[in-house]
Amino acid sequence: MFSEQAAPTAQGLLASPSAEPPTFPRVPVSGYSDCSQLFQLGERSFSRQYAHIYAVRLAGMRPGLEQCARSRWAGVFAVLGMESWGPWGLLVLAEAVRAGPVSYQHNLVPQPPLPKYIQPSDELILEDELQRIKLEGAIDVQRLVTGTILAVYGSEQDDGRFLVEDHCFAGLPPPLPWNGPSSDRFVLLASGLGLGSVSGEALLSTQLLVDVVTGQLGAEGEQSCAAHITRVILAGNLLSQNTQSRDTINKAKYLTKKTQAASVEAVKMLDEILLQLCTSVPVDVMPGEFDPTNYTLPQQPLHHCMLPLASAYATLRLVTNPYQANLDGVRFLGTSGQNISDIFKYSSMDDYLEILEWTLLAGHISPTAPDTLGCYPFYKSDPFILTECPHVYFCGNAPHFQSKLLQGKEGQRVLLVTVPDFSATQTACLINLHDLTCRPITFSSFGADNED
Amino acid sequence: MEQPRRITDSFPRRLRRRGSGRPPGRLKDKKDKKDNDKDKVQVKVRDCSRSPSQSLPDPALLEMLRRFDLSWEYGPCTGITRLQRWERAQELGLSPPGPIRDALLEHQDNPDVTYRWMWDGM
Repeated sequence: MFSEQAAPTAQGLLASPSAEPPTFPRVPVSGYSDCSQLFQLGERSFSRQYAHIYAVRLAGMRPGLEQCARSRWAGVFAVLGMESWGPWGLLVLAEAVRAGPVSYQHNLVPQPPLPKYIQPSDELILEDELQRIKLEGAIDVQRLVTGTILAVYGSEQDDGRFLVEDHCFAGLPPPLPWNGPSSDRFVLLASGLGLGSVSGEALLSTQLLVDVVTGQLGAEGEQSCAAHITRVILAGNLLSQNTQSRDTINKAKYLTKKTQAASVEAVKMLDEILLQLCTSVPVDVMPGEFDPTNYTLPQQPLHHCMLPLASAYATLRLVTNPYQANLDGVRFLGTSGQNISDIFKYSSMDDYLEILEWTLLAGHISPTAPDTLGCYPFYKSDPFILTECPHVYFCGNAPHFQSKLLQGKEGQRVLLVTVPDFSATQTACLINLHDLTCRPITFSSFGADNED
Repeated sequence: MEQPRRITDSFPRRLRRRGSGRPPGRLKDKKDKKDNDKDKVQVKVRDCSRSPSQSLPDPALLEMLRRFDLSWEYGPCTGITRLQRWERAQELGLSPPGPIRDALLEHQDNPDVTYRWMWDGM
């Protein structure tokens, strides 16, 4: 099926049952280490301003960017932001002044949420610790988002605007050594299970997914292939958006006293599904936008008391969003998609894969945090800065499946994957760790031409 | 008579309130006069916020610390202690001056030295 190493004795289903059914042991877990400690928050204090993140982001990315800029634009240039103003400028923070939705506090009619918040009248302003300057010229104003760190090359005009001739980002981070497995090993990536939704269309597909992974589906050929799946990563939105309804807040208390939150039923369903998966394969569960955990990035892992049945198994790992780990020597880094969809809303880029690639080249997982995406007020360091180049970089809850292998100048090889929303597309991704390829696997229950 | 046991004996209170941080009306609720006195004494100590044996840091030191706060190279100074800010600057490679750290560690329990710049009431 999806591996050339299907069992040679594989028979179809139309054969009499063999006297001794063969067993296919799953490939053993080797070399897993969790690298997302920097996304785990201990004691949280919100009594800090967000200026710290921006300052740390700038200070953290400035050295790398300066090196990049000097190698690209060889020659003498002065650094903007010090006392001496040179004709050429260096980096700092690109900020765009955008017309966002009207706030409720001003008692104005709230605007409906738009898919995109870009307008032709947007401006781009470069800012550092001391000052800000408006940018014009060879720079796409609508493509960039607030919070990006970049270097610009150009000259300052008399009226205080900066005419950009060229700009550059931090580029791909330095590569990690490759210690991938020597044979085919697969990791299944799925996101957006959407449990607790009004329509139960995706439930059969979810059950099919679980059956394929646990080897209960198909003949011996498929089962032997499924035994090569070493891990399942659920990248967010395990619960559907319907579980987030706020009727209980608007209605009177006597009407809603006995009603249970929709997420309770959904979490019970999730627990049962995870139980089936955990008995057979290690599972990493990342929280998403609609899951019962905190809203600000980095989202903390779901609490194990919500999943009593599945937590009994050591194969269940509740992890943060974003998530970083070494699986069999391959570095995975990914989010549940909130960062990409936020950039999608505030930029003219339309393609999720393009945005994913752009965040990797810009050297930051989510530049729009904390401006338009909620973020914890870090003060010491910005954990979203990319310091090492992952081998697999994914984002969940994308509209459709896309993947691309990116090659860098310093020998980086990154597989970019946009994991589609399972409840809408019934598609999950299978990543082969051996050769960094990815393919979608779709579980449709009724074909389009099936009229019965 | 044995001391009334408090929950703060087993779970020591970690957040220290600055200045007159005692909740209003607490002294009135206490019926035990002994506790009343103890509270008053405690409040007094909290108001002073330093033991009488420690000397006041000299104004030159405070001025140096203020200048450290206001220098823009090391990032914003609000909401974090000076020591945290110094350590952050060190990690980012901005080489903050060493004497500041020595001074901060020396007068660690003096809130005028270590204090974090905060907006009202935080």
